[in-house]
Amino acid sequence: MPWKLLWRNVVGHPVRSLLTVGAVAVAVFLVCVLDAVTSGLTRTLDAASANRLLVQSAVSLFVDLPLSYQQKIASVPGVEAICKWQWFGGRYEQDKGGFFAQFGIDADSFLPSYPEMKVVRGSYDDFKKQRTACCVGDELADKYGWQVGQTVPINGTIFTRTDGRPWEFTIAAIYHSDSPAVDNQTMWFQFDYLRESLEQGGAEGPLGVGVYMLRMAPGTDPVAVQQAVDAMFENGPQRVQTTTEAEFNRQFISMLGDVPTLLQLIGGAVLFAIFFAVLNTMLMAGRERTRDLGVMKALGFTDRATGMLLVAESLLLCGLGAAAGIGLGLLAEAPFAVATATFLPGFGFDERTLLLGAGIAVAVGLVAGVLPGRRAARLTAIAALREVG
Amino acid sequence: MAEAIQLRSVTKAYQRAGETLRVLDELELTMAGGTFYALMGPSGSGKTTLLNLVGGLDHADTGAVMVGDVDLTRLGGSELAAWRAGNVGFVFQGFNLLPVLTARENVELPLQLTPLSRRQRREQAERALQLVGLGDRMDHKPRELSGGQEQRVAIARAIATDPQVILADEPTGDLDRNTADAVLQLLQRLNRELGKTILMVTHDPQAAGYADKIIHLDKGKLGRIETNPGRG
Repeated sequence: MPWKLLWRNVVGHPVRSLLTVGAVAVAVFLVCVLDAVTSGLTRTLDAASANRLLVQSAVSLFVDLPLSYQQKIASVPGVEAICKWQWFGGRYEQDKGGFFAQFGIDADSFLPSYPEMKVVRGSYDDFKKQRTACCVGDELADKYGWQVGQTVPINGTIFTRTDGRPWEFTIAAIYHSDSPAVDNQTMWFQFDYLRESLEQGGAEGPLGVGVYMLRMAPGTDPVAVQQAVDAMFENGPQRVQTTTEAEFNRQFISMLGDVPTLLQLIGGAVLFAIFFAVLNTMLMAGRERTRDLGVMKALGFTDRATGMLLVAESLLLCGLGAAAGIGLGLLAEAPFAVATATFLPGFGFDERTLLLGAGIAVAVGLVAGVLPGRRAARLTAIAALREVG
Repeated sequence: MAEAIQLRSVTKAYQRAGETLRVLDELELTMAGGTFYALMGPSGSGKTTLLNLVGGLDHADTGAVMVGDVDLTRLGGSELAAWRAGNVGFVFQGFNLLPVLTARENVELPLQLTPLSRRQRREQAERALQLVGLGDRMDHKPRELSGGQEQRVAIARAIATDPQVILADEPTGDLDRNTADAVLQLLQRLNRELGKTILMVTHDPQAAGYADKIIHLDKGKLGRIETNPGRG
């Protein structure tokens, strides 16, 4: 293989080569990101705890359950702890464009049910003691430069204060989770603070619970608990649906549609487009070099060698594109992970994602190179030289 | 002594617009090794076809094409490619240098098919370029050279592997008179000093004047063979 000629052919047309490499790089980057999203979803689902169940309204996740359900559900055999989860939906006053999730929870049962969460700054006991305290993820704290003891003003959108002022939460604890099951960009505050504000007229909004989280005692059959809870409210006043944490996450994601299939379709379309772009480049290259190929054959290069020259050039372009795309992906991984942490805590490139990107680029390079390569191999030296005139 | 070339009852025909065009017709020709031949004749007389057959670029329909003791008609595609790599050098009218490579790299290209090391290839390419008087133009790309210099690089490429036979198809067709004379003198030198067998297709009687013998072809058949005065 005349490697120098191969390289010179690539750098001899810098604009065309750069555009092709750039197109492949963008495609590989996109495929890697899409795959990382799909893998992230899977990781999030896989990381769900087996001993946690979630109880929501059978009508919709957006319909609240009565507060009175808590005691009844807690009495079901096998339920070791129960924790309210209420979506707050507020906006941080200092960051009009930013978004992070806030939930009202029962401080006593919350952290013991999530062993994957560790308090890294401040104290969870302080969080439990203060009604207006909150516990925030370390990524969220780092993002806004928050410190323990700092007051965070949040404007309610579902729950608004009657005095028109924002809600104020004091940071008592900062946590970190190593598991995709819990992201590090959420604010947890005491549900009782919300309830008391609503009951005492300090705030307006629905008084209910979005979801009850149940922690089961070791050895408990989750199906039995699910059935017992669902049967308990079979006749109302509000029917419930009890699911495992994994199933709950799956249903939450499916509300966006069939995301993995959609992402795969987008990835497939990108690959399809990029294949034709590379093929077009290589066909142009092959036609432009008809004379050179004829000369090489006259000099004694075999049909196979001249054909392989174009296949190798296609592979080189796609390989460079893959390297650039993967490099771009690795550079963008951390910012992407931060940006998507709230709804996709499992986002991240793994070895499989990178291999997929590289593999796809090699496959595109190979297939796009074979067609002009075959033409080059079949061309006779006389025909190639005659084409020049 | 360079190898002799023999064509024994060679026929070559092409299909054009449904008709069979017999370009070489039962051609019998023997060329002595170490001789500079000019091949002349009107357009369509079969000159380039004969050159292609002798160079192993094409197959005769019938007959035998012998270069030395090798019958090219018996060789397959990859065998012919290997044979070309070591036994024949081509010089084309349009120079046909690879534009992305320098003069030295162009000359090195056929040497990549030899077992020589990178250093040996480089040295041999430089020797060939010095032989054609382009020792100071080795790192120039073809577009940075004049037509005459390009053709000299092409000649250096043709002799880089030290083949015994050099085939030149209108090598001075794109050159002015003075430059053409310089190129022809170079071919003559290769024949006289290195003993190369040269077969040169030309329409130009002046170019043919540099050859030892002039072979005339007409309608695929051998015409007369002239010996240049003072040569042969």
